[in-house]
Amino acid sequence: MSTTLERLKQLFIAKFDFNIEELKPTTTLEYLGLDSLDMVEFMFDIENEFHIKIPDQEFKVTTIQEIVDAVDRFISEQRIGVSSDKHS
Amino acid sequence: MKRRVAVTGLGIISPCGNNIDDFSLNLMAGKSGVRRISSAYSSLLSVKIAAEVDFNPFNYFTKRQVSSMDRVNQFALAAASQAWKDSEPSLDAKEKERAGVYIGSGMGGGNTIEDLYDQLFKHNADRVKPLTVLMVMNNASASHISIEYGLSGPCLTLSTACASSANAIGEAFRQIRDGYVDVMLAGGAEAFLTYGSFRSWESLRVLAGEDPDDSSKSCKPFSKNRSGLVLGEGAAVVVLEEMERAIHRGALLHAEIVGYGSTSDAFHMTRPSFEGQARAMSEALKEAGLLPEDIDYINAHGTATQWNDLLETQAIKKVFGDYACNVPVSSTKSMHGHTMGAAGAIEFIVSLLAIKNQAVPPTINLDQPDPECDLDYVPNIGRKGVKVNTVMSNSFGFGGTNAVLIVRKMEE
Repeated sequence: MSTTLERLKQLFIAKFDFNIEELKPTTTLEYLGLDSLDMVEFMFDIENEFHIKIPDQEFKVTTIQEIVDAVDRFISEQRIGVSSDKHS
Repeated sequence: MKRRVAVTGLGIISPCGNNIDDFSLNLMAGKSGVRRISSAYSSLLSVKIAAEVDFNPFNYFTKRQVSSMDRVNQFALAAASQAWKDSEPSLDAKEKERAGVYIGSGMGGGNTIEDLYDQLFKHNADRVKPLTVLMVMNNASASHISIEYGLSGPCLTLSTACASSANAIGEAFRQIRDGYVDVMLAGGAEAFLTYGSFRSWESLRVLAGEDPDDSSKSCKPFSKNRSGLVLGEGAAVVVLEEMERAIHRGALLHAEIVGYGSTSDAFHMTRPSFEGQARAMSEALKEAGLLPEDIDYINAHGTATQWNDLLETQAIKKVFGDYACNVPVSSTKSMHGHTMGAAGAIEFIVSLLAIKNQAVPPTINLDQPDPECDLDYVPNIGRKGVKVNTVMSNSFGFGGTNAVLIVRKMEE
């Protein structure tokens, strides 16, 4: 299990009223009931947590795993964080 | 014939209690919600006191809601929720189209805007909280309420400083009376006890000094030693309903709104004019078809500034003539502070409670009579077991806006 996923789960729990059991890689944002405004807020938290910048129009995600993948990609592209693999 | 308007639900978040029962008990007992401020900046301020609300948003809302609402929106929605439960208007889809929301607020999302500037200018942030716009905008409270209850009629925000929520209730009353809608959630909210706000009010030199013996006694309306207003925060929302509908569904009828006066001094930004205030009172009486002698209690604007208390006294004398000395007038701001845009709605609820309890709440901290303020201000001790059928509530705002509401007990 990647550190990115774990950190993301903690962010979810801090921000919303979800149980950690609900947060699986395959869980969809639609299932969680998150709308576009929720995601705009959550992207801000993700940027803070992972020290990345998520460019406009480049965060088209539908599942938690897709968020993890996107975050890992931004980390490696932007070279300002440390790749999550090294924390595993 | 004009339609009649009943009040069928009440909700409150205030420095004197976060539900109607606590608020009512504390006010009649003369219990003050004024205390030393809890702000992290308090050591920098010369003002040391305020009437803060003891409020944990997580007792009311989900994390997601808390994160997406300014404190003022949280107050408004919490008060609306109480009022909605009290009234249980049970509207179908068609009826919701004829139901609306009018909320008054002076400053809107003041906490959010201050956080924004703190991040930008103090911490050099290059990005800010994404929902900032939606939390700062003054109509957010009304919109949250409209969305929560699916009310799709008119949804407006009225901003007339300290008269905001009295105007909101008065205009909502007219919406129903004149047939545009059948149900309205109306009231107001304010939550602007921020460092910037305290500094701004300090500079205006209208704030009360701290009572050297007891901080909670610092607000002294109509007293010779009054030294200014005490800033407060809070919210109050009521459900207004067309009378026949309310009776037909067996709603609890708290009272009937019978009069509303709305005037502008057209004179000065801060100095009140007793003529403008008197005209608002006279208009409300005229609309209600009442004489001054019909009013059993006046809930005064009573801010405890030198000018307000003097001029409001003169205005009451002008309208009520010889009867002015016979009508009890009290300023409950002595207890809940000046809640700004929420004041009119909070004091409208005080007026309803006076009818419900057949009791008049006191003006506390009135220890030194002022020869120029010589009405019956119900000093220090509330009166129980008195006839209170009809009440006038005064609200006056910076900019010169005056709003006066009259409520009457339901006939048995």
